[in-house]
Amino acid sequence: MMPRLRNAPPRYWLVVIAVVFFLGFPTVISSFQSSLWAQALILAIAVMGLNILVGYSGQLSLGHGAFMALGAYTSAILAHRYKMDYLLTIPIATLFTGLVGFLFGFPALRLSPLYLALATFALAVVTPSLIKRPEGLTGGVQGIILIQPDPPPFASDLFAAVTGTAMTSDQWIYYISLFCALLLFWVAWNLVRHRPGRAMRALRDGEVAAAAYGVNIAGFKTLAFGISAFYAGIAGSLFGLATGFVSPDTFPVSLSIQLLVGAVVGGLASIPGPLLGAIFAYFLPIEANQWVPSQSWIPDQVASTVKNAGPAVSYGVLLILIMIFAPNGIVGLIRAGYDWLYRRLRGATDRETGQLPPDPQTV
Amino acid sequence: MPNLLELKEVHAGYGPRSVLHGVSLSVPEGGIVSLLGANGAGKTTTLRAITAGVRWSGDIIFGGRSLRRLATEEIVRAGIAHVPEGRGICTELTVDENLKLGSHLRRDGAEVRKDYDRVFEYFPVLKERRKLSASTLSGGEQQMLALARALLMKPKLMLLDEPSLGLAPLVVRAIFQIVKSINQASRVAVLLVEQNARIALELSSSAYVLEVGRVAVSGASADLKDNESVRRSYLGY
Amino acid sequence: MQEFFQQVVSGIAIGGIFASLALALVLIYNAMGLVNFAQGEMAMFATFVAYALINRGMSYWIAFPITLVLAFGGGILIQRLVIKPVERAPVLTLVIITLGLATLVNGFAGFIFGYVPRSFPSPFSADSADLFGVFISYRDMGVIAVSGLVLLGVYLLLQRTTVGLTMRAAAHHPEASRLLGVQVSWMLALGWGLASAVGAVSGIMVAPILLLEPNMMQSIIIYAFAAAVLGGIESPLGAVIGGLIVGVTVNLAGAYLPGVGGDLQLAVGLAIIIAVLIARPNGLFGRAAIRRV
Ligand SMILES: Nc1ncnc2c1ncn2[C@@H]1O[C@H](COP(=O)(O)OP(=O)(O)O)[C@@H](O)[C@H]1O
Ligand SMILES: [Mg+2]
Repeated sequence: MMPRLRNAPPRYWLVVIAVVFFLGFPTVISSFQSSLWAQALILAIAVMGLNILVGYSGQLSLGHGAFMALGAYTSAILAHRYKMDYLLTIPIATLFTGLVGFLFGFPALRLSPLYLALATFALAVVTPSLIKRPEGLTGGVQGIILIQPDPPPFASDLFAAVTGTAMTSDQWIYYISLFCALLLFWVAWNLVRHRPGRAMRALRDGEVAAAAYGVNIAGFKTLAFGISAFYAGIAGSLFGLATGFVSPDTFPVSLSIQLLVGAVVGGLASIPGPLLGAIFAYFLPIEANQWVPSQSWIPDQVASTVKNAGPAVSYGVLLILIMIFAPNGIVGLIRAGYDWLYRRLRGATDRETGQLPPDPQTV
Repeated sequence: MPNLLELKEVHAGYGPRSVLHGVSLSVPEGGIVSLLGANGAGKTTTLRAITAGVRWSGDIIFGGRSLRRLATEEIVRAGIAHVPEGRGICTELTVDENLKLGSHLRRDGAEVRKDYDRVFEYFPVLKERRKLSASTLSGGEQQMLALARALLMKPKLMLLDEPSLGLAPLVVRAIFQIVKSINQASRVAVLLVEQNARIALELSSSAYVLEVGRVAVSGASADLKDNESVRRSYLGY
Repeated sequence: MQEFFQQVVSGIAIGGIFASLALALVLIYNAMGLVNFAQGEMAMFATFVAYALINRGMSYWIAFPITLVLAFGGGILIQRLVIKPVERAPVLTLVIITLGLATLVNGFAGFIFGYVPRSFPSPFSADSADLFGVFISYRDMGVIAVSGLVLLGVYLLLQRTTVGLTMRAAAHHPEASRLLGVQVSWMLALGWGLASAVGAVSGIMVAPILLLEPNMMQSIIIYAFAAAVLGGIESPLGAVIGGLIVGVTVNLAGAYLPGVGGDLQLAVGLAIIIAVLIARPNGLFGRAAIRRV
C-alpha cells in the first residue's frame, strides 16, 4: 500500500518552533536569500497539494506543474492586462485553478491511478507549448513581466524596528508566502482530522470498503483533485509574484518532477513532509550549482555539465533510492529512528522487570 | 519401498498465522497416497510447502535431497509436478501452448512426442481443441489439460490438489481412472489431496487425514476405508 | 490529393517509430502491469550509444545491431538493479521509480554527451521515388521497412519460440508458470531487455529527423503513450495499429488543421490520450474486464 497519512496530533512545540523560525528568518538572511526561501515555501504549498491527492486518494498526478502554470498565468494576465492589484488576483487565480482541477477530476476519477499518472504526465509535457500559442494573452515565449509590490508601511516599519533596515519587496513577498503556507498547512492538517480526510483515506484503502462506509467515491476523488489543484494554483500564483515574471519555461515538465521529488523525499505520509521535502528539492540544485563551480579541482568543462545535468541525475537517484529503501521519506526515517530509540529505552526497562519479549513465531 | 518424498515435522503458515503444526508424511516411489481432511485443514498448504509456495520449517526430503531453500522453479525441475488448487491453467494461452509449457524444459525430443501421443490418447478432446484458447474449455476439460500438462513434465511425483472439485461424478471417475493409468504406466508417484474421501481411498494405497494442521490418522487406505469410526469421525461418509 | 497521400505515407513512417516505442511500453505493461515512464529516455540513451559507435567509424549497419544488443543488456541490468527490489510494490511506487529512472537517464546522457543537438546519420537517401504518382522518400520507406521488420521479429519471438511462450506465460500467470518450472523473475528481466531493444529502434529511427539530444524522446514518448492507450495498453497488435493511427493523425493535423503545427502537434497526442481514456479506456483492442488498480 501507499503509506498512509498519520492522524497523530502535531507536537505543538515543534509547530511553534517552526513558525518562530520562519517568521524571524528574513531578519538574519539577505533579501535575495529571502526570495529563495519564499520560493521554497511556495513549492511546499504545491507539494502539500500533491500530498493530499496521493496520500488521501491513492491517485498520483505528474502534472501539477500545469496547475501551477494555470494559477500563475491567471494572476499574471489579470494583473498585467486588467491592471488588477496582484494580491487581489491571488485568491481569484486560486479559486479558478481549484475549480478547473475539480472539473478535471470528473473524467480523472474514472481512470485507474496508472492512467491518471500517464495522462497528467502528458499534460505536463505539453503545458509549455500550450502556453506559448495564445500569444496575445500569454505573451508567447517572452512571457509576462510582473511588478513586485512594495511592502505596506506597517510591515516595513515593524521590520525596520527589528533589523534597522527597510523591508524589501522580496522580503514582503516572503511573508506573504509564509502566511499562505501556514494557512494552507493548517487547512491540510484539519482535512486529515475531519471527515473528508477520513473518507478519502478509506477510499484509497479500497473503494469497495469505502462504499460500504457510505463514502461518495466519485465525489471525494473529484474533491481531492480539486483541493490539490487549489494548492497548486495558489502556489503558481505566488510563484509568479516571487520570480517577477512568468514564461512557458517557468513550467517545464521538470517542475512537476520537482514537486514529486519534494513529496517523495519529505514523505508521502505526513503533514511536515512536504515542507521538508520542498525545501530539500528546491535547494539541492541551487546549492549544488554554487558548490561545484567553487571547487577548484573540478575542471570548468565538467562543472558546466554538472550544472545542467546535476539536478536531473540527483533527482532521479533520489526518487529511486527513496522508493526502494525509505518509502516514507525523511519523515518516515525520523519516525523510524524515534520508534527505534523508544523501543531501545523500553527494552531496557522490560529487562529490569524480568519480562521477556514474546517468542517469535516458529514460521 | 524407499520413500520418494518425506515430510518431517513440517510447520508452515501465512505471515504471522501458522497453519501446519508439525506434519509428517511420506510417499513411496511409484505409490499413490491420499491426503484427506475437511476444508481448511491445511491440505493445500501442505502441497504449497512442498513446492516452496509458503515459508516452512522442519524438513522436506525429495529423492534423498532436502528441498530447504530451493526455489519453486528448482523444485519443479527436480521432478515434481504440482497441479494447484484451481488447476493453474494459463487462460491467456491456447491449449497447445499450455501443453508446451509442460514439456518446455525437456530435451528428450522423441520421448516428448510419444508422451504427446499418450496424452491425446487419454484426452482426445484436448487434441480437438489444440488451437483454441484454454479459457474456452469447460471445468472438466481444464482439469484434463492440467493433468496432461503435468504428465508432459515427466515428473517423478505429481501433487494433485482436489482434481474432483466442481466436476460431474462421471468426469471425476474418468479422471481418476486416468490418474491410475498414468501412475501404472510411467511409475509416477502421486500425492492426491481430496475432500472426496471415498473415491480417493479407492485409488490410493495409503492415506493421511489432516485435522487443523496435524495428521490425525494415517494408514493403509483399505484399513481406513474399513474402519467404521475413522470413517464417521474424519471422512464423513 | 497527391500531397495528402504523401502526408499519409510519412505519417505511417513516423507512426512506425511511435509503434516501436509503444510496443516496448506494452511489453513491460504485460510483464508487470506498469507503464515504464523511462522507456523513451532509455531509447534516447541507446541512440547516443549508436551515435558514439558510428562516430568512431563503425558502419551504420554494424552499429545498429550492436546497439540493440547493448540496449537489451542494459534493459536487463536496469530490471535487476532497480525494478527487482520492488517487484511486488504497489504500482504507484513502481511508477515513481520509473520516473526517477527517466530523470536519471536523461541527466546522465546530458552529463556524458552534453545538450548540444547533433545530427544523426540516416542510412537511407533523402531522394524520393515516384510510386503511382505519389512521391515517397526513401527515408520514409526505409523507416517503414525497419520498423516493420522489428515488429515482425518481436511477433515471431513471442508467438513462435519457447522463450517467447514462457515470457508470455510468466507475464500473465506468474504463479502457474512457476509451478511449470518457468523462471519468472528472469522472464521479466528478458521482457525489460526486449522492450529496451525495441524502444532503441524508435530512438535510432527518429534521431535523423529530430536531431539527437537528451530531450529528444520527450515528445515521442507522449505519442507512444497515445498509441499504446489507443491500441489498448495490453495489446501488442494494438500498439502497432495505434502507432500508425497516431502517426497519420498527427501528420495530417499538422498539415491541414490551421494553427496546429510544430509544437502544438504534441497537443494532438495529449488530446488523443484524454479522448481515449474518457471515451474508451480499454482502447481499440484491450479487454474490457481488466481494470488494474
Ligand atoms: N493465502 C492465505 N493467506 C492466509 N491464510 C490462508 C491462505 N490460504 C489458506 N489460508 C488459511 O490456512 C488454512 C488452511 O488452508 P488450506 O491449506 O487451503 O486448507 P485446505 O486445502 O485443507 O482446505 C485455512 O484456515 C485458510 O484460511
Ligand atoms: Mg485446499
